[in-house]
Amino acid sequence: MKLRMGAAVLVVALLPLVLQTPYWRGILVLCAMNVLLALSLNLVLGYAGQLNLGQSAFFAIGAYVSALLVKNAGWNFWLAAAAAVAAAGALGLVLAAFAARLRGHYLAIASLGFAVITYQVLVNWESVTEGVRGIYGILPPPGFGSQLALFYLVAGIAVVVYAVLDNLVRSPVGDTLRAIREDEVSAASLGIGAAKWKAFAFGVGAAIAGLAGCFYPGFVGTLVPDAFNFVESFSMLAMVVVGGMGTMAGPVAGAILLTFLPELLRGVGEVRLIVYGLALTLAVLFLPGGIVQAWTALRRAR
Amino acid sequence: MSDLAALVVQQSVNGLYLGCLYVMVALGLTLIYGVLNQINFAHADFVTVGAFTAFFVSARLAGRALGLPDTAAYLLSVVAALGAGALLGLLINVAVFAPLRERGGELRPLIATIGVSVLLENGQLALFGPIPFQFDSPFSRQTIRLGPIFFTAQSLLVVLMAAASIGALYAFLRLSTLGKALRAVALDRETAGLMGINPGLLIGLTIVISSALAGMAGALLGPVLVLTPFAGASVVVKAFAIVVIGGFGNLEGTILAGILVGIVEAFTVQYLGSGLIDLVVFGLLLVMLAVRPTGLIAERREENV
Repeated sequence: MKLRMGAAVLVVALLPLVLQTPYWRGILVLCAMNVLLALSLNLVLGYAGQLNLGQSAFFAIGAYVSALLVKNAGWNFWLAAAAAVAAAGALGLVLAAFAARLRGHYLAIASLGFAVITYQVLVNWESVTEGVRGIYGILPPPGFGSQLALFYLVAGIAVVVYAVLDNLVRSPVGDTLRAIREDEVSAASLGIGAAKWKAFAFGVGAAIAGLAGCFYPGFVGTLVPDAFNFVESFSMLAMVVVGGMGTMAGPVAGAILLTFLPELLRGVGEVRLIVYGLALTLAVLFLPGGIVQAWTALRRAR
Repeated sequence: MSDLAALVVQQSVNGLYLGCLYVMVALGLTLIYGVLNQINFAHADFVTVGAFTAFFVSARLAGRALGLPDTAAYLLSVVAALGAGALLGLLINVAVFAPLRERGGELRPLIATIGVSVLLENGQLALFGPIPFQFDSPFSRQTIRLGPIFFTAQSLLVVLMAAASIGALYAFLRLSTLGKALRAVALDRETAGLMGINPGLLIGLTIVISSALAGMAGALLGPVLVLTPFAGASVVVKAFAIVVIGGFGNLEGTILAGILVGIVEAFTVQYLGSGLIDLVVFGLLLVMLAVRPTGLIAERREENV
């Protein structure tokens, strides 16, 4: 495990040396962010088994809270980021309060409603968010002005988050979450309070998505509500499902594939979401375990 | 009639008309849920496909090629949209719902239909582009006046079509043998199967009926909405809210909630501004989920095991 982790870190460190153009380095930063987002959703969906379609809301909170605190209140970026992560996590707990009472389809719709409401607040609360006009001239975190530095920062954070989550899901906490996913009633009979652990998964998942959000505005330079439409939740869903939900490597593989594949197909046109839709449908129908399942099958065959 | 009373009545009429449109979309969702315990996320895009089918049939084909008068061309396009919806329903049943039914699980089919939805929406975006199409209904041009209240012939048509669809659906479910079989499948799929009913066939039929309704709703919505590939999505998120507010799988609740949401929307536009519609509707949804998750009309208790 340590060996594989080391190899992954080495690949991450060497990648920008292979992809040297600003365009591809930009894609690398985006990819690192997507890995974080996919990991965040996977904790809730893959391990706790809660279909959460509101993950884009937490990404939005991270982005807007951190950017606004820096721009309007003059906070230090890292302090603002900490506040944004806390805000996203707190909002995750609010959604968890719904998840404690609702299951399956009801939760899917409630979380979708959550994402729609967050998006509408960003559009309508113009005195703070500037609405659809957007916020311009947002600077990257101090000291991470170049895309290369920003990539190392976000990728480094993604590696740390991966390591923490990997330990978490192999600990008894992971077993608890999986028990809730498989059968909530049986889990309750074993003395597992599902509501508490769902709140934990939603809170941590939301905080990680918020953390990814902190780096987004400085990377793009502008902040508009459309970047956080509920369709973005579907993108994260596609990454998790295509990679293989409920595994640690899956969402990472899914995020990498679905970030790079549309770029490679750019010659055909603006196909990002077509690729996502197709990949998501085909994965559910023919490869429910995602890339991870295909990988294990291949290794067994050899 | 005082000005305020006239305004309230006028907005209620507008709300009823909007509500009828939403009911036609939401009925399909609730019907599929009632029989299948599944959500078709691509329902939104069936509405959009219906709207585009109607647009091309009425504006391009029927009007120009066949030389039909405006009204006949539009009515023909409504039928064409119904057919397009039914065809899509057939396809999604064969491709997604039927194969996944055997494997079980409630989340997989939902996730697959999200994929289909993203695919359909962006496929249409690639085909038709993001610029809105100007879809005129000849009925939108005629205004009917009753005292101080105004409405268009289009809104009358919508209300009549919604009433007719609801009536036909009820007659089908209550009176026909097939409808009775369908209700039996909704109640208990396995037992219905033992009684010689083919559940697969009836589930397919439900999806086709629901999708045809969505397609037809698209044709009626087209002249009202801004016709872009995202048109359906904006309506269907509301339809989801309606289905939850009314109680999943509960037809009466869905109809009531649809009209309620239409009226709430009309008054929101009047007093708060159109930008806040989604906020108000989804606020209502979350309050409803927190307070009364079984819906307006609680038909059955939520299962615990």
